[in-house]
Amino acid sequence: MTAMRKANAAYPFGFLDEYAKKEVRRTILKAIAIPGYQVPYSSREMPMGRGFGTGGLQLTLSIIGADDTLKVIDQGSDDSVNAVNLRSFIEMTCDGIDTTDITDEANVIQSRHRIPEKPLREDQVIVLQVPYPDPLVVVEPSEDKRKIMHGEADYSRLLVKLYEDIVQFDEITISHRYPTRINDHYVIDPSPIPRWDVPKLNQSKALVLLGAGREKKIYAVPPYTDAEPLAFDDVPFRVESFNDENGQRRCCDRCGDNTSFLDEFTSSVGNKVYQCSDSDWCREQLVAKGE
Amino acid sequence: MKKIEAIWLPEVQQNVFRGLMEVMSRPGKSINLAELAGNVMPARALLATLLDAEVTFCDHNGLLDESDWPLLQAKKATVEHANYILCHGDSAVDFEPMLGELSSPEHSATLVLVVENLSEGSSHLTFSGPGVNGEISVKVAGLNRDWLKQREQWISSFPLGVDLLLVDSSRVMAIPRTTKIEVTSWDM
Repeated sequence: MTAMRKANAAYPFGFLDEYAKKEVRRTILKAIAIPGYQVPYSSREMPMGRGFGTGGLQLTLSIIGADDTLKVIDQGSDDSVNAVNLRSFIEMTCDGIDTTDITDEANVIQSRHRIPEKPLREDQVIVLQVPYPDPLVVVEPSEDKRKIMHGEADYSRLLVKLYEDIVQFDEITISHRYPTRINDHYVIDPSPIPRWDVPKLNQSKALVLLGAGREKKIYAVPPYTDAEPLAFDDVPFRVESFNDENGQRRCCDRCGDNTSFLDEFTSSVGNKVYQCSDSDWCREQLVAKGE
Repeated sequence: MKKIEAIWLPEVQQNVFRGLMEVMSRPGKSINLAELAGNVMPARALLATLLDAEVTFCDHNGLLDESDWPLLQAKKATVEHANYILCHGDSAVDFEPMLGELSSPEHSATLVLVVENLSEGSSHLTFSGPGVNGEISVKVAGLNRDWLKQREQWISSFPLGVDLLLVDSSRVMAIPRTTKIEVTSWDM
């Protein structure tokens, strides 16, 4: 493995050529200046399939430097396939960077489907991998028209869609990719994070960058910016509930914490088991308990 | 062997970019670019970081040496059509930059304004808006108030607008289009 990671001499730092990085960097600055607006860019071919996090990867490769410490997460875990692959690719092409599993130690965090449980700090930046950047795609097939709707902040049809959900199911049934309004104008698809993570975008201390490689879009939620999930006055937004049938909050089977987002497993004997989705959070709880 | 100036090196540009990303995300915060890029005019360091042949640039007041142009690679454009514009902050505004379109607000100009001082000065401003935790007070010297008046016009219909990067002899600070500026005192 070490030999493979050393075999990086043929690549420039960060794999991308400097022109590609410059374009991504210009796009990032525009995305921060226009919070929530999906800035188009010419997404490069990466040595992995589109849909495997190439948007997030291009963002990370364009911002990272030799002094940075990187954490890569997939569904809350540092050890799942997508995270491991992306991390070793970045290690291979970015000579001198450090990688870590510990949220506190990282200053650049690339993530798929989760935002860490631990509140992020001002000196951290989180890069989210986005499969489908445009929340309006469910109500309007034409991108030209969607761009005008976004510009005018016209989300009436999206709200009708949410209303139809309430009529049919008595609540909004979107479990992840919950449409969220940034700075009172653009509505974004916050990537497939669960509802649980959406409030973390609001007035976040850390900069949030979102990259969609296949769809060729970059957008951002700057720090200390309002991020409000779409909802109605009489049907407020709510996060996932982890209460059992008796109304008791379930806790993690491993660390015992009852405040985190839980994943459901089936144990070898067939009953349901719950564990923290964020593996570093779980580890930290265990350390705190002295285990 | 001729030594390449630091601002043209990829690792320096990466550092400068991180500085720009930091100031753009936190309007009112200024950082020292001269430290990151060697003792050069910060305007040059940030232009070297952002420009290439894909974008257009206008050196409105002729602040750059002709010898920088081939390395910047950017196409020359008139001030009304340039993606990036470099100007003196103490002169009055005599042009209308690109503001973008409703469906493509990214087709708007980024203005780099060279001012006298970003850490001291008797013009006091208060910033609020995205990126600012409540309010932040900013001191600046050598900025013509006309820029702020014109900016109010340019950003009046969000998402259209311009983003400003203010530079002095060592520091850089950003004023994206979303920042609300209140003038607390002014001396020019």
